[in-house]
Amino acid sequence: MKRALIFGLIGCAGCIMLALNASGAGGPKPEPPPKATTIAELAERYDSSRCADCHEEIYDEWEESLHARSVLGSPRTAPTIITTIEKGLKLFPYSGVKSDDDITVEHLMLCAKCHLPQLDEATDDVAREIVATIRGWQQAYRDGDDDKAEELEETIESLNIGCMVCHNKIALIHKYADGYPQPDTVYGGQEGDHDDDEYSLMAEAPAIGESIFCGQCHGQGPNFELEHPSQCATAYGSYLFAYVAHGGSESCQECHMYKSELGHNMQSYRDDSMIEMALDVKVESQSLFWRKNKEEGVVPIGVIDVSMYNKSGHAIPDG
Amino acid sequence: MGRGPYEKSGILRETSLAPLKSTHETFEIAYPFEDVEKDGKTRRELLKDELNVTVTLYYVPFGEFDGNEVVFFEEEKTIDLKTEWIWR
Ligand code: HEC
Ligand code: HEC
Ligand code: HEC
Ligand code: HEC
Ligand code: HEC
Repeated sequence: MKRALIFGLIGCAGCIMLALNASGAGGPKPEPPPKATTIAELAERYDSSRCADCHEEIYDEWEESLHARSVLGSPRTAPTIITTIEKGLKLFPYSGVKSDDDITVEHLMLCAKCHLPQLDEATDDVAREIVATIRGWQQAYRDGDDDKAEELEETIESLNIGCMVCHNKIALIHKYADGYPQPDTVYGGQEGDHDDDEYSLMAEAPAIGESIFCGQCHGQGPNFELEHPSQCATAYGSYLFAYVAHGGSESCQECHMYKSELGHNMQSYRDDSMIEMALDVKVESQSLFWRKNKEEGVVPIGVIDVSMYNKSGHAIPDG
Repeated sequence: MGRGPYEKSGILRETSLAPLKSTHETFEIAYPFEDVEKDGKTRRELLKDELNVTVTLYYVPFGEFDGNEVVFFEEEKTIDLKTEWIWR
């Protein structure tokens, strides 16, 4: 009891110092931006291509990642959103969704909370336009109309977790302490002027280098704050309660951005360097005559023992 | 990942590999043998005393071998059972 108390006090002192060091990042809560009324408008607001002019390497890395197509996915995400509507929303008696016309931003937030957090800056028309676009894309595929499929796929890809989602919208987590992200500022590790016309300032996001930053979307379990809690990614929960709890100390960024040398191209099982970092597998074998039972008698068997040590920062696989 | 995200409720059965932990799987493979009749007695004879085993660990992202599976580990091994053993 006493020991826990002392550790508790030391921990607190650390917290206070951290909080003091990282001040002045955000500001008062700004007026919410006007709601985007079309996909094009929402995509334009979060367009990352401008950043490529000066951050070319980072842009190229990001473009390879699933963050750059977070609604399309591998491309399994967009079809699963349709399944959610058909097998979920339309069959649930109290969802209010009988046809696609009934779909609102709130409904899509079951997924968009993490796959497209900026959807909260759009009207319900945009939610319906997204659904119609995914359906059109699937239909074009079925019809073998490659040009149309490609065009619609590009529209779906224009909605993504771009630079300004991470470096502005969700950059500051503890807003009472650190303030709200300001519309003219990019948040990272530095303070000062920033060369971009629209985002003319840089400021510090105290937690952007910490696991909690990724944890905002990488899930702990059911999303209880939603009217109908969805559950998708749980890697952050596993990280906290299985990895850190058993002595793990590396951050998401350390493994996924730095040790992997992939930077903004955060990857997993599709990537050789991530596979290399995932498991230590050992195979041991033994052969023997095994007196199994009366009926089968003595059986000559080889016993293969495979041990798999997970050296990543969470369960494999996730979800 | 992403399977039934609108209807899952917590982790009901955990079959993943936990971090910082070893998980063991054992496989028993019988050597080919035959029960032969000799002098009115049945004797069991080993037909092959070597086995070539390939251990492959696949990551199966969408739960099926649908072309998206990825090989995480592969090892070939020859095991043998060359000891003397009189079957009774
Ligand atoms: C808590 C945040 C969160 C919510 C809510 C969420 N997802 Fe996900 N989803 C993720 C993350 C993060 C990944 C990728 C990481 C992983 O595989 O663990 C992912 C992966 C997926 C994948 C596999 C991706 C691929 O490209 O193969 C699908 C499909 C998916 N989600 C569909 C959905 C649908 C549909 C919903 C809504 C019903 C939803 N998700 C809700 C965070 C979320
Ligand atoms: C999924 C969230 C995410 C997205 C999307 C993202 N970043 Fe980052 N970015 C980070 C994190 C995390 C760091 C590292 C913070 C640390 O380690 O302190 C970072 C670091 C940076 C840095 C400073 C470090 C460096 O490598 O020079 C720049 C500049 C940067 N990002 C620009 C961009 C640009 C431009 C884009 C879009 C092409 C982008 N980021 C997209 C999360 C993101
Ligand atoms: C005209 C060039 C230019 C454009 C356009 C530009 N940046 Fe920058 N950015 C810079 C420079 C220069 C720095 C300072 C780099 C340094 O000192 O490491 C910087 C720094 C940053 C940092 C802080 C890096 C750190 O170390 O913490 C972030 C985050 C960032 N930019 C994001 C963006 C995003 C997002 C966009 C697109 C909206 C963008 N930038 C567009 C030139 C530009
Ligand atoms: C705004 C929400 C958000 C944030 C913040 C975020 N991610 Fe993601 N991430 C996603 C989503 C959504 C996907 C899956 C997209 C898809 O395939 O549908 C994903 C995919 C990934 C993947 C690939 C998973 C796969 O199946 O291959 C990795 C790895 C990853 N993220 C790591 C990180 C790391 C590390 C951070 C922190 C630096 C981070 N993410 C921050 C939402 C986020
Ligand atoms: C000790 C290194 C390490 C740490 C720490 C770590 N990861 Fe990973 N991560 C890996 C490796 C290696 C893989 C590849 C294995 C795989 O795909 O499951 C991976 C895979 C993933 C995947 C894909 C999961 C899947 O189902 O295949 C996601 C998403 C992810 N990491 C996100 C995160 C997030 C978010 C954090 C922080 C909360 C984090 N990782 C911390 C090493 C790490």
